[in-house]
Amino acid sequence: MSEVEPFIGIDLGTTNSVVATVMDGVPRVINGRAGQVLTPSMVAVAKNGKRLVGQIAKRQAITNAENTVFAAKRLIGRRWGSKEVEDARKVLPYQVAPGPEGHDVRVVIGGRTLAVPEVSAMVLSELRADAEAFFGRRVHKAVVTVPAYFNDGQRQATKDAGRIAGLDVIRIINEPTSAALAYGFGRQMEKKVVVFDLGGGTFDVSVLDIGKSVYDVVAVGGDTYLGGEDFDRRIMDWLVFSFAKENGGIDLRQDKMALQRLKDASERAKIELSAATSAGIHLPFLASAGDGKSALHMERQLGRDKLEELSKDLVDRCIQVAEKTLRDAGVRPSQVGEVLLVGGMTRMPRVQQAVRDFFGREPSRGVHPEEVVALGAAIQAHSLLYPQKDRDVLLLDVTPQNLGLLVVGGYFTTVIPRNTTVPTSQTHIFTTVQDDQTQARIVVLQGESEKATDNEMLGEFVLSGIRPARRGDVEIEVAFEISADGIVSVSARDLETGLRQSITVTATSGLTEEELRRILDERMDEVLELKQSGELERRRDKAQGIILEIEALVPAVQAALQKSRFGKDAVQKAEGVMARARAAIEAGDLHQLAAIEEQLDRTLQLFKGLAGGASAPPGEA
Amino acid sequence: MPSLAELIDHGIKAFTRGLHGDAERYWREALEIDPGNARVKGYLSQLESATPAEAGPARRAAPPGAPAQAAPPGPARKAPPVVPAQEFAPSPWDDGPALQATIVLESEGGLDLSAISEKSDLRPLVPDPATTPAPRPAAPKTDVDVWMEGARELFALGDFSGSLEMIEKILKIDAGHVEARAYLRQNESTLVSMYESKLGSLANVPRLAIKPEEVMWLNLDHRAGFLLAQIDGSVNFEDLFALSGLPRLDTARILAQLLADGVIRGGAQ
Repeated sequence: MSEVEPFIGIDLGTTNSVVATVMDGVPRVINGRAGQVLTPSMVAVAKNGKRLVGQIAKRQAITNAENTVFAAKRLIGRRWGSKEVEDARKVLPYQVAPGPEGHDVRVVIGGRTLAVPEVSAMVLSELRADAEAFFGRRVHKAVVTVPAYFNDGQRQATKDAGRIAGLDVIRIINEPTSAALAYGFGRQMEKKVVVFDLGGGTFDVSVLDIGKSVYDVVAVGGDTYLGGEDFDRRIMDWLVFSFAKENGGIDLRQDKMALQRLKDASERAKIELSAATSAGIHLPFLASAGDGKSALHMERQLGRDKLEELSKDLVDRCIQVAEKTLRDAGVRPSQVGEVLLVGGMTRMPRVQQAVRDFFGREPSRGVHPEEVVALGAAIQAHSLLYPQKDRDVLLLDVTPQNLGLLVVGGYFTTVIPRNTTVPTSQTHIFTTVQDDQTQARIVVLQGESEKATDNEMLGEFVLSGIRPARRGDVEIEVAFEISADGIVSVSARDLETGLRQSITVTATSGLTEEELRRILDERMDEVLELKQSGELERRRDKAQGIILEIEALVPAVQAALQKSRFGKDAVQKAEGVMARARAAIEAGDLHQLAAIEEQLDRTLQLFKGLAGGASAPPGEA
Repeated sequence: MPSLAELIDHGIKAFTRGLHGDAERYWREALEIDPGNARVKGYLSQLESATPAEAGPARRAAPPGAPAQAAPPGPARKAPPVVPAQEFAPSPWDDGPALQATIVLESEGGLDLSAISEKSDLRPLVPDPATTPAPRPAAPKTDVDVWMEGARELFALGDFSGSLEMIEKILKIDAGHVEARAYLRQNESTLVSMYESKLGSLANVPRLAIKPEEVMWLNLDHRAGFLLAQIDGSVNFEDLFALSGLPRLDTARILAQLLADGVIRGGAQ
C-alpha cells in the first residue's frame, strides 16, 4: 500500500461523517485519532475562541448553541430564501444570513461569516487529518458521497468544500449507490434494492435498479427532519419530566449544562439499548438545588420497551415514508430483491422489526450500517484510481436530476432525464404559444417535479426577433449539451430563420472563484499558523522541562562549585539563561525560544556534569 | 471545623479590617493544626511586633512572608493617591525617616529653625490659603470605597480570591468602576495562572482517579459535576476549557480543586 498514493472515501453526513479506504483489496474504515469511527459533522467556536470540530464540538453543542454549526448539509448549495433554508432557519440555533449576492446561505459563527462549504470543509479537513495520521502521509484523492436528491449546485458546493479542505474530489456519488456498492451488488446480481437510511438527522429511502455497472436510483423519498436525534429527544423529555416530578418541578431544560449531559446520556442509553434490554443513566451532580443545598443527582433505568413506547410514532413515520416512496416508484414491497439498512438508528431492534414486517423479508445486515456508505465511496475511489478489469464496478458520471425547461402553464418539461451519462446532448422542438409571438423566454430548470416552481432554476434567456406568425407555426429547437465537466449549455434556434441565442450554466455552490481563492489563501495561512503554534507548544514544553531539571540540579551544582576554584559564576549565568527562556515562554516568542534552546541544553549538560561530579564518591570526583 | 487555609484566610481578612485580636486568634488556631507553618508564624511575629499606631487602619503593613506577588500590582499605580486630612505639598518626610541623618545637630544645642528660615528660603510646608481651597471635611466612606480598599490590601497580601470577591461586589454596584475593572483583570489573570500551574501542561489528558461509583460520594456543585462528566480520558485540559462553557477562571479553579482533592489525575498527553 505504501507505494501507491493513498485515497479515501468520505460519507459526509448531516449528523456524522465517516472516512474509509481500501487496503490490500479490503475496504476498511479509518478510525479517528481518538479511536472513534464517527466524526460528528459539527463545527464550533468555543467561548475561548478555539475552533472545535467533531466530537469536541458536539460535547458543547448545547452549552454554546449559538456558536455551534451542525447539519450544514441541509444548507449547502441551497439558495437563500428557498423552502429548505426557511425550514432550517426555524430550528437552527445559530445565525444564518444571505451571501453577498443574496443567492446562497452563510452562517455566522464566533463573529465570522462563513460560506457553508467552508464549514463542511472543516469537517472534511478533520477526516483528512485522521486519514493522514493513519497513512502517515498526505492524502489528496477522495470520493465523497451526497444524497441522491442533491442537485448540481449542492454537488458543486460539496466539491468546493473538498477543495477548501485540500482534497481532490475525484467523484461525487450518491449515498444509496455507495451503500449498494459496499454490499457488492452489481457484480453478482441484477435486482431492485431498497436502501433504508435512518441517520442522525435525516431519513432517506431510495429504490435502486441495479444491473451490470448500472445503478439507477429510480425513486427517492424521505424526511429531512427525522433521525436518531428525535429518538434522543424523546428520552431527554422523559428524563426531564420525571426529574421535575421528583424534585419539586426543577426544569432541567433551563440549565444548559444539565441539558448537555442529558443529551449525551440519552444518546448513550439509546445505543446501549440496541444490544441490551436495559440501560442505566447515572448523572451525579446534575443540577443545582438552589439555596446552597447539595447538587441533585439523576439515577434512572431505561428499558428497551420504554424506549420503543416513547418512539413508536417515529418508527411508524419511517414506514409510512418508505411506503409512499415505493408507491410513487410503482414498486411493491414484494418486488424488492434486497433491503439495505444504513445509518446507526437502523441498529434499533424495533426499527429492524418494522422493516422486516413491511418488506416481508429479512434486511441485509452484512456491513456496519454507519460505515457502509463510506466503504462504498472508498471502493469507488479505488476503482477509479486503480482499475482492475472484471473486478470493479465503475460508476459513470450521470446527471443527478432531470434537466429541462419551463413551458406554458408553469409546468416543467424534461429534455435530459436524470441518470443520463455525461457528456451528452439532446434537442427538443418547441413551438410558439401565441399568435405573432416575437419573443420566447427560455428558463432552464433542474429537478424532479412537474411544477416548474418546485425545481431549481439554473438560468434563463430570451430568444427575440422571432418572425410573426400564427401560434404553433414557428418551430424553435432547444438544444441541451452537458460537457464532461458538468457545464450545461442551452441554445434556442428559430429553425426557419436560423436566429439563435444561447446560455451556459455552470453548477455553482454560491461561492465565486475569487471567493474560493481567498478562502484557500486564508486556509493556507491558518495551516501555517497552526504548524507554528504546535511548534511553539513543543518548544515551550521542552524549555519548561529543561528549566525544571536545571533548577533541581542547582543545590548539587552549588555544592560542587564550593569545592572548586573555577566556574563560580555558573549558577548566575544559568539564572540568566533561564530568565531569558522564561521571558520567551511568557511572550510566546517562537524565535526567541528556538534561539535559547541550545543554551538551555548546554547549561543542563554542564550542570549534569557538575552535579554528577559532586555526588560522585570521594576520590572519583 | 475550618481548614488550615480557611483559618489563614480568615486571619488575613481580619488583619486587613484592623481586627488584630481576631487575626491572632485565627492564626493561632491555624498553628494548632500546622505548628510548623512558616507563613502563619511570620504573620504572627509581624502582628506581635507591630505597634498600635503602625497597625492602625490608616497605615497597615503587610505581614512579613506575604507572597512575593505582594508588590503593588499594575492597577495600584493608577489608584488615586490617598488624600490626607489637609492637602499639604508632598514632602520627603512622607516616605519615613532617611537611613542617614541629613542634618547633624550640634551637641550643645538644637537647630534654630526660625533663624534658619529667616536666613534662607526654607519655609514651613503649609498650604497657600490663596490657592488652596479650604480643607474639606472628609467624606464618609461608601461601601465601594471600603471594598476597594479591602481589594487593594488583599491583593497586596496575595489573597487574589478575596480581592476578587470584593471587586465583584463593587462591579455589581458600579459596573464601570475603572480601578475595580483593572483589579478584576489582574486578579483573574493571576488566579488563572496560579490554577493552571497546578494543572501542569494543558496538553495533558486528565483521568478520573477514583472509581466512577465513588463520584456520587463527593461534595461537588453541578458545575464541577459537569466538568467531571467531561473527563473521560479523551480530552485534554485545554479542550476542557473550550467545552466547559464556563469562564476560564472558574474552569481552572474547579479543575485545580478536583486535582488537589485527588478526584482526577493529570495524566500524560
